[in-house]
Amino acid sequence: MTTATSDPEALRQASLKYLWMHGRDWIQMAEEGEPRIIVEGHGVKVTDSGGKTWIDVNGGYNSVNVGYGRTEIAEAAYEQMLKITYRPMGMATVPNIKLAEKLSELAPGSLDRVYPTSGGSEANEMALRIAKAYHRRRGEPGRYKIISRRGSYHGTTGGVMWLGGNQSRDDLEPMLPGLLYGPQPNPYHCELGGETASECAIRCAQAIDDLIVFNGPETVAAVIAEPVSTPTGAAVPGDEYWPMLREICDRHGVLLIADEVINGFGRTGKMFAIEHTGVVPDIMTVAKGIISSYLPMAAAIAKKEVADYFGGEGNALQGTLTYSGHPVSAAAALKNIEILENEHMVENSAQVGAYFKEQLEGFKGDHPIVGDVRGRGLLLAMELVKDRETKERFPKDAKIADHLNESFQKHGLIFRTGGDVVSIGPPLCITRDEVDEIIHAMDLSLWELEGELGISG
Amino acid sequence: MVISAQESETLRRSALEHLFMPGNDVLQMAEEGEPRIAVEGDGIRITDSQGNSWIDCNAGSMSMSIGYGRTEVADAAREQMIKLTYFPQGTTTEPLVRLVEKLAELTPGSLERTWPVSGGSEAIETAVKIARAYHRRMGEPSRYKIISRRGSYHGMLGMSMWLGGPRAGSPGRIDNEPGYPGMVYAPQPLPYRCELGGETPSECAVRCAQAIDDLISFHGPKTVAAVVAEPISHASAAAVPGDEYWPMLRQICDRHGVILIADEVICGFGRTGKMFAMEHFDVVPDIMTVAKGIISSYLPLGATIATKEVADAFAGEDNIFRASLTFGGHPVTAAAALKNIQIIEEDGLVQNSAETGAYFLEQLESLKEDHPIIGDVRGRGCMLGIELVSDRGTKVSFAPEQKVGEKLTEKFRERGLILRSNGETITLTPNLCVTRSDVDEITAAIDSALGEMESELSLSA
Repeated sequence: MTTATSDPEALRQASLKYLWMHGRDWIQMAEEGEPRIIVEGHGVKVTDSGGKTWIDVNGGYNSVNVGYGRTEIAEAAYEQMLKITYRPMGMATVPNIKLAEKLSELAPGSLDRVYPTSGGSEANEMALRIAKAYHRRRGEPGRYKIISRRGSYHGTTGGVMWLGGNQSRDDLEPMLPGLLYGPQPNPYHCELGGETASECAIRCAQAIDDLIVFNGPETVAAVIAEPVSTPTGAAVPGDEYWPMLREICDRHGVLLIADEVINGFGRTGKMFAIEHTGVVPDIMTVAKGIISSYLPMAAAIAKKEVADYFGGEGNALQGTLTYSGHPVSAAAALKNIEILENEHMVENSAQVGAYFKEQLEGFKGDHPIVGDVRGRGLLLAMELVKDRETKERFPKDAKIADHLNESFQKHGLIFRTGGDVVSIGPPLCITRDEVDEIIHAMDLSLWELEGELGISG
Repeated sequence: MVISAQESETLRRSALEHLFMPGNDVLQMAEEGEPRIAVEGDGIRITDSQGNSWIDCNAGSMSMSIGYGRTEVADAAREQMIKLTYFPQGTTTEPLVRLVEKLAELTPGSLERTWPVSGGSEAIETAVKIARAYHRRMGEPSRYKIISRRGSYHGMLGMSMWLGGPRAGSPGRIDNEPGYPGMVYAPQPLPYRCELGGETPSECAVRCAQAIDDLISFHGPKTVAAVVAEPISHASAAAVPGDEYWPMLRQICDRHGVILIADEVICGFGRTGKMFAMEHFDVVPDIMTVAKGIISSYLPLGATIATKEVADAFAGEDNIFRASLTFGGHPVTAAAALKNIQIIEEDGLVQNSAETGAYFLEQLESLKEDHPIIGDVRGRGCMLGIELVSDRGTKVSFAPEQKVGEKLTEKFRERGLILRSNGETITLTPNLCVTRSDVDEITAAIDSALGEMESELSLSA
């Protein structure tokens, strides 16, 4: 067997040598005594191998919605594992069917046929695949273009990594053909100069209409968007945006895909963020919160009107994923959803999220570098600026992110920011006291950052 | 755990209403009492919700290496789930570190740095992206083309589905156009039907490897990033290339500065009678992808493993490879995989795969004597293929309208086997815990099904 022992330092050395950690540099980690090895978690808190407890402000990639340490999910998964852990090709399992049923019940409108996958990227891949194949089944094979919004993110596999543009595109060229980009309806930085959230929303929706017309509606398959956009920092579009998108898509025969991978399962204070808008998309994708990352699980959910085109000889959707509908993940997801419902975590997300946002708003009084506070439920963000009037950003060499990450760490937060936008997405079980604790640590961190930058409040 | 007939039917109706069943027509399934619902399993056998027992000849999705019902894996997963089920961004967990260390120990040569993912398609996507980014780090950003072989399969996501890829004219291809740019296709070194007319496995291997050399030269080596191939091609019904193939590929890739990616998603973890199928050929690839057998499908897990030489190009803050996957490196799946690998090692399943697989191959060879419908029998370890022909002399396949695939699949079903034929081939990939008496039982059922098929087709020996 392996040479590793429970000695944390030996484990850390092994990880530096053998693990290709997502998004981190092993040389820098070696110097900084990283990576931290997490050994247990409860609620919003985790404990590392040195016995130190941390608040996980981003709930593990905005995903641990029910919080850490819910052993009921372990028991549900275990119970299923003792029965059957997989199935032969072409067969179904009880939990997979029950989960599909449950998702149909929860999802708005006639969204009722589920393609389960093992992650958000795969779910979005399937959504695009369904959209293109749908048009072909309807006798419109010329529709293959996909519209996304600049600055959005929908996954990292080949079919979806180019949606929204891609910050690491140099590494990934050549790009997938057939992708079109609309503007991002971020009211704080409206690409089209809209001065209010409404004006920005209307202009950005209109731009998608124009894009479809310019390209020819008969070439466009789908528009994909997050109800509340996460990579731009919880940007909530004006109320006009989604109803307009729905009307534009309908008018041009284009499918509307709502990416609820991060937004879904209570993150924004509703079960699905699209419920804030009253719009029903044609396809919806979910991951993360569906299972609070207790195991890998995700899904693309299509409207009956779309899915019905795949019935009948020669019409079946093609493409199987080995782990699609895994019975153990399905059993865990069902338990996770039960906890979300029974413990009213969606309501807690709305209420404590509103409180959290108020506290962040309060920073604006003391901290001139806080340019904007936005978001919904427990999907929140704070944007830092050099100048509040001009919204000028800090130069890269100010190393805002490095300074902040260091301060957050000093104050007991596991909270990594990549730049000027500080995104917040804690488990939905978070309490007001815990919010106060985070706010206090953030306040200190902002003072420290302002000190480093020579800015005074 | 048999459930009541009524509950079973309610669940079946619900599946038909709420699940996409890829590759299957839900209307037809509704008529035929499908889908069946698997409720328990033991070894190579599973029981459906109506109490019928079946032999699963394809180990789930060529994936349940240790067999159904190993509760030790459940115990290991539970133990980890009670401790910790996930981790904050930028941190890691003990079972993951132990797993990647174990993989470094098991994999050949300097393959030692693991990028964990949740499935085979993700693993291949990652491998291709790493190959392209590697060349960029090395100052050769013009290398982006990927060579795969016609008739291969490497996944179904946006980029991986175009490697080998679905056949021309198939819905799986047409539905997904336009294809991914930069894909270059080479011949499949399938000795039974050598595209390049090689008459022995060696001749076929040499010509097919040479064809890749020619492709690279034609396209310009400075535009080619990687060659992707399965050591033994599952999609081509367990086609084993002649011994010359892999050493030649390695030499060609080295000469042209091209990364060699071995897709061990199906082949790996004992499927072919070695821990990794590349060991049969004594070649170390630059990147290896694994999934399925790494965890016997007990939970979703895959991985991309790079040599130290490749991974080192990504060290340093400016060189980070950026492509986070939420579920990549999940601690619970890592704990389950470690237990799965332990079972494979302690139960001698790699050896059993080699030995019982060899016995299985012999039995299939002997079927060939009685059944003119069998054109070829091939494979290694517990990955075996039968090629069906309407005429052994000309090697002509059956016409699709003869529906030989559907009919054979139905005959296997009548005999208690979960085993599909596409009308051209039958691929067998049983759990690696399969015994000789299981093999005898499967062989007898195939024997009888083929006999019946032949008399319906009026084929005689």
